[in-house]
Amino acid sequence: MLPAFELLTPTTIAEACKMKLETKGKLLAGGTDILVGMHGGKERYETLIDLKGIEELKGFDTKDGLDFGALTPHREFEQSALIKERYTALYEGCSQVGSSQIRIRGTVGGNICNAAPSADSIGPLLVFGATCVIAGADGRREVPLSEFFTGPKKTVLGESELLERVLVPSPVNGSGSAYTKYTRRRAMDLALLGVSCYVVLDAKGKIEVARIALTTAAPTPIRATNAEEFLVGKTLDDAVLGEISELVAKQAKPRSSWRSSAEFRIELVKELTVRTLRLAEERAKGEA
Amino acid sequence: MTHKTIKATVNGEVYERTIPVCMTLAEFLREELGLTGTKIGCNEGECGACTVIISGKPMNSCLVLAVEADGAEVLTIEGVSQGEKLHPLQQAFLDAGAIQCGFCTPGMVLTAKALIEENPNPTEAEVRKGIEGNICRCTGYNRIIDAIMNEAERVRGDK
Repeated sequence: MLPAFELLTPTTIAEACKMKLETKGKLLAGGTDILVGMHGGKERYETLIDLKGIEELKGFDTKDGLDFGALTPHREFEQSALIKERYTALYEGCSQVGSSQIRIRGTVGGNICNAAPSADSIGPLLVFGATCVIAGADGRREVPLSEFFTGPKKTVLGESELLERVLVPSPVNGSGSAYTKYTRRRAMDLALLGVSCYVVLDAKGKIEVARIALTTAAPTPIRATNAEEFLVGKTLDDAVLGEISELVAKQAKPRSSWRSSAEFRIELVKELTVRTLRLAEERAKGEA
Repeated sequence: MTHKTIKATVNGEVYERTIPVCMTLAEFLREELGLTGTKIGCNEGECGACTVIISGKPMNSCLVLAVEADGAEVLTIEGVSQGEKLHPLQQAFLDAGAIQCGFCTPGMVLTAKALIEENPNPTEAEVRKGIEGNICRCTGYNRIIDAIMNEAERVRGDK
């Protein structure tokens, strides 16, 4: 039995916001983080607010960019041919979360709100320039995903607020993306390090836009903005990639954990950024 | 609420029970219904021994609240065979020697069943990926994979 709690089951966003404000309850989506924490009594909550009865938080559409409800499970992106083709890094992130059972239950919105430094969906969403639509008792506001995290497991969500939707601009023609997840074993493991890249090439094959996100490389998922700026107008030759690996290493602030030492993570940041950029470039050229 | 009366369909039978909201579906199946074929291994979504199929989808029943089964259809290992007559997938496990201690087998069979229903023509890589959330600590994976490939072949009518 889980540590005892009171369960609330709102059916509208407004109702959920009101309940969160009044009870200070914990919002529950797929439960693949929250219930895991509660088993064995590691985490306790007086009140859980199960959002799964709120239809407005479900489903996604791709008419103008990608607009998905916070309750969209990872599995839906894993099984969408369109996501795989257009938002390749997001497909790669979502299809490597946990196991099929976990991806069927666990939601992308939950992955974001859990705010783990290692979250597989967050790096890809950062490089696609995603924006969070937040609903609260006082209305809605939009916050860029890059400003959503305030620390490990901490977000900007206020007392009455919840993540409603995520808006992802459509990748332009001539772009490519990739996500590399480094783990000790191939299945059921958290990223020891994650690198996400998105590049847009001009007609001559030079980099017009580059975005790089690092996960498990700092207390929150981060963008490697120094390296991104350096890349504009360049081609990915060995000299440029050498510079890039030094620049990303400077922006990474990994910690040592039982999974890996900080030193090893820095080496991974260098090497995996180079590999992931190359893969994104190949995809932008239509070669991979 | 701290308790709720639910009506769940498990293996085709409707059960009505009043249960605490903090009870997991795995506990409900084992302790309320006596369906102990569903195993609890890690109790945190890592091992897959508690996998059941809920409304067509395999899930870790240790990470599902029992109250969520209200109005849902749950299939456990007890509902896979027809009494003593094994489901062909179970027979495939036996024929391939895919069972050692047997603790992972119920979850493995249910994950495999959902996998084949979704994709009756899986590659070996897809089968391996498909069962990544089911741990066999006897490490008899190769024969489990053989069993699933054989059953998929049979479902397709190749043999």
